[in-house]
Amino acid sequence: MGEDPIYSPFFGVMGATSAMVFSAMGAAYGTAKSGTGIAAMAVMRPEAIMKSMLPVIMAGIIAIYGVVVAVLIAGELTATGYTLFKGFVHLGAGLSVGLSGLAAGYAVGAVGDAGVRGTAQQPRLFVGMVLILIFAEVLGLYGLIVAIYLYAKK
Amino acid sequence: MMSVASNTASTPYSYNSYAKYVYGYIASLIAFILTVIVFYYVLTGRGERIDFGWFLMETSPYMWASIGVGLAVSLSVVGAALGIYTTGVSIIGGGVKAPRIKTKNLISVIFCEAVAIYGLIIAIVLTGQIVIYTPELADSDYTVKSRNWFSGYAMFGAGIITGVVNLVCGICVGQVGSGAALSDAADPTLFVKVLIIEIFGSAIGLFGLIVSVLVISKAKMGDKA
Repeated sequence: MGEDPIYSPFFGVMGATSAMVFSAMGAAYGTAKSGTGIAAMAVMRPEAIMKSMLPVIMAGIIAIYGVVVAVLIAGELTATGYTLFKGFVHLGAGLSVGLSGLAAGYAVGAVGDAGVRGTAQQPRLFVGMVLILIFAEVLGLYGLIVAIYLYAKK
Repeated sequence: MMSVASNTASTPYSYNSYAKYVYGYIASLIAFILTVIVFYYVLTGRGERIDFGWFLMETSPYMWASIGVGLAVSLSVVGAALGIYTTGVSIIGGGVKAPRIKTKNLISVIFCEAVAIYGLIIAIVLTGQIVIYTPELADSDYTVKSRNWFSGYAMFGAGIITGVVNLVCGICVGQVGSGAALSDAADPTLFVKVLIIEIFGSAIGLFGLIVSVLVISKAKMGDKA
């Protein structure tokens, strides 16, 4: 049991907010940047479009990391019995997944844009793009791991 | 005359070359004022007066709820507007040489508009949750007060989630829609494939809607404990 002031749910709500908002920013940047790259290279090589959807899917997965943590935090929000400890732990969890997702989304977007444009000109680059995208995606996963570990603290 | 002309050019250390740091100036001015205020309180022995918890307790939950409602709809509309601006300009530009694209690419504009509708829905749902509570009852009964204060915070959070997520989603859908319009102008078979990317972008806005509905489902204002 810890102290239970009235304002501790504010920090929990801010945790859920930052989890969703920042990972959505990263996912939106990733989708937009690689989407414009796909639209540009599709004119030259329409048969490579479906293969090039990979960066868009990975950006969507980053948004899902944020949704998972936000839903977990929102499920634990209560008016009474919500200690300051829980509030700050949830804030930390939300910030960790959110800001990592923002950074990972930026990386996925930039790499996806350059990757699909390069793959259109040189198809052997596809495997290299996948490898770099995996490393970028795993940054968001690190944030998710820390968030889940924090969330499960008693 | 020569020296005045070369000073108004963008050479380094000319009068105008410092203008690009204006955001840095504003941010450092705010940080300086805040530092002076905090040091004043701390050094005169009143450090506990700087209390974020006091601020959260004293402000009315109506303020948090109303700011949440306002931001939910306004930021969503800003996102939708930025999206429509990017997409619409590209549709018109590409339609100069390929006027056939103008009807099919209205789908991209509709995707952006849907983002604004998400914000509108959440704002209406949030407004329906704002209920009057009697202040005397709140002061006497701890459960009533904590429930109302919690609802205020939850509505603020739900509004921020919806607003900012729809803002970035609208910008994203607009960018991809612009690419879709231009590749459609080049080759009509490409439009449907690039539309798939727009659907991924639209899904981000839906995630924000789901999470904010989840957050708001816990909130209940009013006089009941």
